[in-house]
Amino acid sequence: MKLAGLKSIENAHDESVWAVTWVPATETRPPLLLTGSLDETVRLWKSDDLVLERTNTGHCLGVASVAAHPLGRIAASSSLDSFVRVFDVDSNATIATLEAPPSEVWQMKFDPKGNILAVAGGGSASVKLWDTNSWQHVATLSIPRPEASQATKPIDKSGSKKFVLSVSWSLDGRRIACGSMDGTISVFDVARAKFLHHLEGHYMPVRSLAYSPSEPRLLFSASDDGHVHMYDAEAKTLVGSMSGHASWVLSVDVSPDGAALATGSSDRTVRLWDLSMRAAVQTMSNHADQVWGVAFRPPGGTDTRAGRLASVSDDKSISLYDYS
Amino acid sequence: MRETEEDNEAEQQQEQEQETLLKPLHESLDAHPDDASLHFELGHSLWIQGGEAKEKAAEHFFISAKLNPQNGAAFKFLGHYYRRVSLDTQRSLKCYQRAVALNPDDSDSGEGLCDLLDEAGKETLEVAVCRDASDKSPRAFWAFRRLGYLQVHQKKWSEAVQSLQHAIRGYPTCADLWQALGIAYQRLGRFTAAIKSYGRAIELNETLVFAWVESGNIYLMLGSFKKGVEQFQQALKTSPQCVSAYYGLASGLLGLSKECLKLGAFKWGASLLKEAAEVATACICLVGNISCIWKLHGDTQLMYAKCYPWMGEGQNLEISREAYNASILSWKQTCSLAVTSARCSYQRALHLAPWQANIYSDIAISSDFVTSLSKTCGHDLSSWKLAEKMSVGALLLEGYNYEFWLALGYLSDYSALKQHAIIRGLQLDISSAVAWSYLGRLYRKEGEEKLARQAFDCARSIDPALALPWAGMAANFDTRESAPDEAFESCLRAVQILPLAEFQIGLAKLALLNGHLSSLQVFGAIQLAVQRAPHYPETHNLNGLVYEARKDYLSAATSYRIASHAINASSGSVPYSQIRDISINLARSLAMAGYAVDALCECEKLKKEGMLDGRGLQIYAFSLWQLGKNDLALSVVRNLAASVSTMEQISVSTPVSFICRLLYHISGLDAAITSILKMPKELFQSSKVSFIVSAIHALDRCNRLKPVVLSSCTFLTSYEEITEMHFLIALGKLVEDGSKYGLGFQSGVSHLKRTLHIYPNSSLIRNLLGYLLLSSNELSSIHVATRCCKLNPFDLPSHQGLKLSSDILGAGAVACYAVGNSSPKLSFPTCPNQCLNEPGAIRHLQKYLHQQPWSCNARYLLILNYLQKAREERFPHHLCVMLERLISVALSNKLYSKTDTSYQYQKFQLLLCASEISLQCRNVINCISHAKKASKIELADCYLFFAHLLLCRVHAMKGELLNLQREYAKCLELKTGFHIGWICLKLIKSQHKLQIDSNFLDFCFEECSKEGANSRNMWVAIFKLVRSLISIRDWDFLSAEEFLAEACSLVGDESCFYLCHGAVCMELARQRPGLHFLSLAQKSIAKAQKNSRIPLPLTSVLMAQAEGSLGSREKWARCLRLEWFTWPPEMRPAELFFQMHLLAKNLNDSSDSLSNVEFCQSPQRWVLRAIHTNPSCLRYWKVLQVLVE
Repeated sequence: MKLAGLKSIENAHDESVWAVTWVPATETRPPLLLTGSLDETVRLWKSDDLVLERTNTGHCLGVASVAAHPLGRIAASSSLDSFVRVFDVDSNATIATLEAPPSEVWQMKFDPKGNILAVAGGGSASVKLWDTNSWQHVATLSIPRPEASQATKPIDKSGSKKFVLSVSWSLDGRRIACGSMDGTISVFDVARAKFLHHLEGHYMPVRSLAYSPSEPRLLFSASDDGHVHMYDAEAKTLVGSMSGHASWVLSVDVSPDGAALATGSSDRTVRLWDLSMRAAVQTMSNHADQVWGVAFRPPGGTDTRAGRLASVSDDKSISLYDYS
Repeated sequence: MRETEEDNEAEQQQEQEQETLLKPLHESLDAHPDDASLHFELGHSLWIQGGEAKEKAAEHFFISAKLNPQNGAAFKFLGHYYRRVSLDTQRSLKCYQRAVALNPDDSDSGEGLCDLLDEAGKETLEVAVCRDASDKSPRAFWAFRRLGYLQVHQKKWSEAVQSLQHAIRGYPTCADLWQALGIAYQRLGRFTAAIKSYGRAIELNETLVFAWVESGNIYLMLGSFKKGVEQFQQALKTSPQCVSAYYGLASGLLGLSKECLKLGAFKWGASLLKEAAEVATACICLVGNISCIWKLHGDTQLMYAKCYPWMGEGQNLEISREAYNASILSWKQTCSLAVTSARCSYQRALHLAPWQANIYSDIAISSDFVTSLSKTCGHDLSSWKLAEKMSVGALLLEGYNYEFWLALGYLSDYSALKQHAIIRGLQLDISSAVAWSYLGRLYRKEGEEKLARQAFDCARSIDPALALPWAGMAANFDTRESAPDEAFESCLRAVQILPLAEFQIGLAKLALLNGHLSSLQVFGAIQLAVQRAPHYPETHNLNGLVYEARKDYLSAATSYRIASHAINASSGSVPYSQIRDISINLARSLAMAGYAVDALCECEKLKKEGMLDGRGLQIYAFSLWQLGKNDLALSVVRNLAASVSTMEQISVSTPVSFICRLLYHISGLDAAITSILKMPKELFQSSKVSFIVSAIHALDRCNRLKPVVLSSCTFLTSYEEITEMHFLIALGKLVEDGSKYGLGFQSGVSHLKRTLHIYPNSSLIRNLLGYLLLSSNELSSIHVATRCCKLNPFDLPSHQGLKLSSDILGAGAVACYAVGNSSPKLSFPTCPNQCLNEPGAIRHLQKYLHQQPWSCNARYLLILNYLQKAREERFPHHLCVMLERLISVALSNKLYSKTDTSYQYQKFQLLLCASEISLQCRNVINCISHAKKASKIELADCYLFFAHLLLCRVHAMKGELLNLQREYAKCLELKTGFHIGWICLKLIKSQHKLQIDSNFLDFCFEECSKEGANSRNMWVAIFKLVRSLISIRDWDFLSAEEFLAEACSLVGDESCFYLCHGAVCMELARQRPGLHFLSLAQKSIAKAQKNSRIPLPLTSVLMAQAEGSLGSREKWARCLRLEWFTWPPEMRPAELFFQMHLLAKNLNDSSDSLSNVEFCQSPQRWVLRAIHTNPSCLRYWKVLQVLVE
């Protein structure tokens, strides 16, 4: 289990790169890397040489999150002004523009089947679900507010406390977990659109969540408190806590085999964690600034047997590693 | 090897020594095994030895403690032992507790105990122990210190202050205590005390970064950014990685720069912001994931974009359009780069902390700024404006914050939304002046003037220090509700509060309407506006107008040219009239600056485009005339005249007066008059034209324009205008009544006197009157002149009228020979008109020179006055030295190198003064060189005469007859119109017996006294006096008497002549017996006595002699007595004492009036005093001898 640097592109964007995801392969093409940046563009890169395929413009502010449909045909990008642009990956045709009130869009993820797009609703303290066929808003999963605070504070002050930063779908698509700014993780039942419970443990913003691709109950979270937690999301228990980053953990992703974890951090490193040992096995410090995103390439396609990990950073660069 | 051996030896020695030390202790312990103190002592010694001996020591301590359970020290060491050696915490705790209980002042045990408790995490116990100890003993400073720290930790600030203060009494040099005290004070809000505590801590330990940073933060909070910045810099010196110090430094610099911007110092502010941004960047390099640092960086960049000033590089007239465009472009680029970077930084901040509402607002504001700079809405996903949307984002997170509502109100494009947002903001905070003023602005835009007024009034009453409502009030003046002056004042206040380009341009516009363009505040404002709004043509146009109002035409022309570049750059949409206005302004200022060719060029360009109106035609004609193309100019004037008839009545005066002036300059007086006569009368119905016509009329002797002038004069209304017109009339009278000998001063003076009676306040009239009186060559009027001028202490050179009152005073004072001498010591002036404040003249001139050290006139007049004074005092050495220095300073003035006649004349006079002084100091070489220099100056012969006269005098003094004769001949050849010249020449001639055509001189004198009827008699009389003096020298008293009698008959009131006549008559009476001369003498002397303002010496004694000779003893005595008082005490001559002796002796017997002077001493004593004064006179000695006998 190790990472080996394959390629790194300096100045891949004009500004900090904030978001990264892999667009799964289709019949016609191999998987692509999708990155979003403060320079208001979204770029598509061809693996493994990281050749720039296309630059998508259209956002008025920095792109905070990108998401790719499991079938690899469409992708979505969201910017700080809360516009979600859904576009065709191959043609860059705009499929839909989802507009939310500002501050109410943060991270986005498609469900494993690709029917619903879940959007972390930021200041609205909820997760919004959009139907991917009609592009209609189908449901809002709200985090319930504590009764006490509602009673004592008539002024709506708690909204910002529950600012939802991150979202993740369970493997089976039945659960959604979202991470908030106050460190709590909320788990919802998608089918009933019902809040289930909180997962406690973090005390600072949870910026990234990832369900295990092999085990539907297993949820990994990355938080500003410098820890990576492993939860049994169904049983509401903290299974493990891993520390090692010197600063905030900004992003987490689980390897397709479910055995390893990659994290990116404010301490400018990318770490690879062995889940069986629950310890960091490798630290990559090739980035010169904080690492905003890490993404394992999903399996599928023709020549994608080899594992790939991509990381993006504030230093405007993209790095690609071989994971084996 | 050797060293180790030596070491070993040394150790062995030590051990031996210790053993020898311990030995007696052991021995005594053996003797008294129950003595606790011995055990303790031994234990202590062993403890100090350390190592294994500690075990033994502990045993002894143990025994000692057992024997004497009150010995705290034993327990302390036991505690140490258990804690450090045997690591038994529980026992150690107990021992320490016991030690502290026995002696609360024991800091070692106390600290040990607390450390142990701290390690175990028993904070409450720790506090209890400390409190216990501190309650028990006020000297348990360790407990207070510990307690203080703990209370600070527990955030019990006020209790901590007490404990820490107490602890500081015990440890006054403990920096940490001071620092903790500082924190406590700071949290309590007692910032001054906190700063002092931190300062003390820093004094004690310079490396306390925390104290530096916190005191810097307090300074920032208190608004003294400068001091704060210093603190943070110090902190960074100690700890170059300190993030909070970086943050504080950057925000301090930001605060400082905001202060600069408020003052309008954009460049300074920009440089500070640059520094701040660098500091923030350095901070970001250290930690990149703190959103507030990114926000700070964004703030500095946004501020930089808002304040970065445009610098017109090398502002000269030749600035090309390309250069201007390039500079504007680079300015805009700098601004937009900064604002884009600001937006990026805000986005990073938001990305790090998306739950912070204010960052949404910041992004909104910066986005709005980006759009305003780029003017393109860019690629939008929807029609919703980004800035608006982001400000809604802030509201979604914090809907209860009125500032976000205001931001939305400010940024939104839809007035309904705007109004809603502002009113929401007002609902949340009714006393927000900003909200009210935004509301006022919104209403103003909507045209709801009344509502706008109310809103602005409300804002102003809540916060008078807010600029916007003032500007709003100023902008409201269109509604005719407020006077333009009030609007100007309001706008000025707005500009003073906030130097915003919009306000400044508005101010300049209002100033244009109100005629305040030359005011310095407007100048300053528009200069700043140019820095911040260089892309608006109007800014440069107004800047040019302001320059023009300050008579800086070259800069004005530059500004107009830039304005026209700006119009070209701004791609249309500029109204046609503005383009024309700017072009005309440019042409006008070019013409005024002396660039006639360029002005002509502009005019022709205008003509080609058909934009040449009345104003343009004037400039056209003017520049043509300047270039000497008189015919073309005249034809343009004709065009102008044709267009005048179509103009409105109000604006007609300027072109008409221009036409009159140009006609006068091109075609001369007569042509101008005929044209004026041809023009319709109603064109002259304004004060402006009236002045021009009157001026032309004044130059005309034929009075052709009288009806025009009379009709137009009725349009003068103000006080100033009327007095100025009288000024002009008086000058006209000078011309009108002048003769071939000069101007008609008398009629001018009489007109001015009448005017002065009507307008006694007008210094203009007064000064002119003084000037005319001085110029009129009248003896008596000189004194009147100095009196009619009003001397105000702040006599500023306003260039109004011809002369300043100070000039007139100085000139008047120097014109009278009795200048600086109020007490008759050296001379006895007989001038009947002597002014009472003559010595004040010199003082006043000194003030004048002190006020205006650059004024060569003041220096010149002062020198002349001092020369008069020196002459009167017989050239005392100190005055001569001072005069020499003054003159050399004056002559070094560059103005005297000009060929202007008035300056050359002054130079001539100064050189003559210098020469005179050298003559008086017997410095012949200098004297001659100065005089020769003077004689080479190009002036009229009548002046140069005096240089040669001076040369005559110096040669006469040296006795060089040949040179004397040569200069004398030169004088005769040059001739002069001044009587005094001839009189002096006559004296020199007679003194040195120069036998050259004697009658020619008299003839010349007669010639020159034909002119100027009024002073003629006086000069002739003086000439007679001189001739009589010459006769006396030749012992021809009879002819002398004749001359003097003639002189007396010519001038009736000059006592000097009478005195001379009386004296000569007495001499004649002495020579030939007879009553004829005696009675003549008596009459003349009586007249001399009567006419003189002060009692002249010698008159009385002469009178006494005359009376005595006529036989009246009583009168003789009375006159002699009078003589005593006419002399100043220190100047009484010996003869006077002698005469008094006669008086005393003669009247010795008649003791009727014992109070008389002569009786204060005996005759003998009088003689003695006479001898004492003049011992060389034999006569006195003889009389003394007689008296003694």
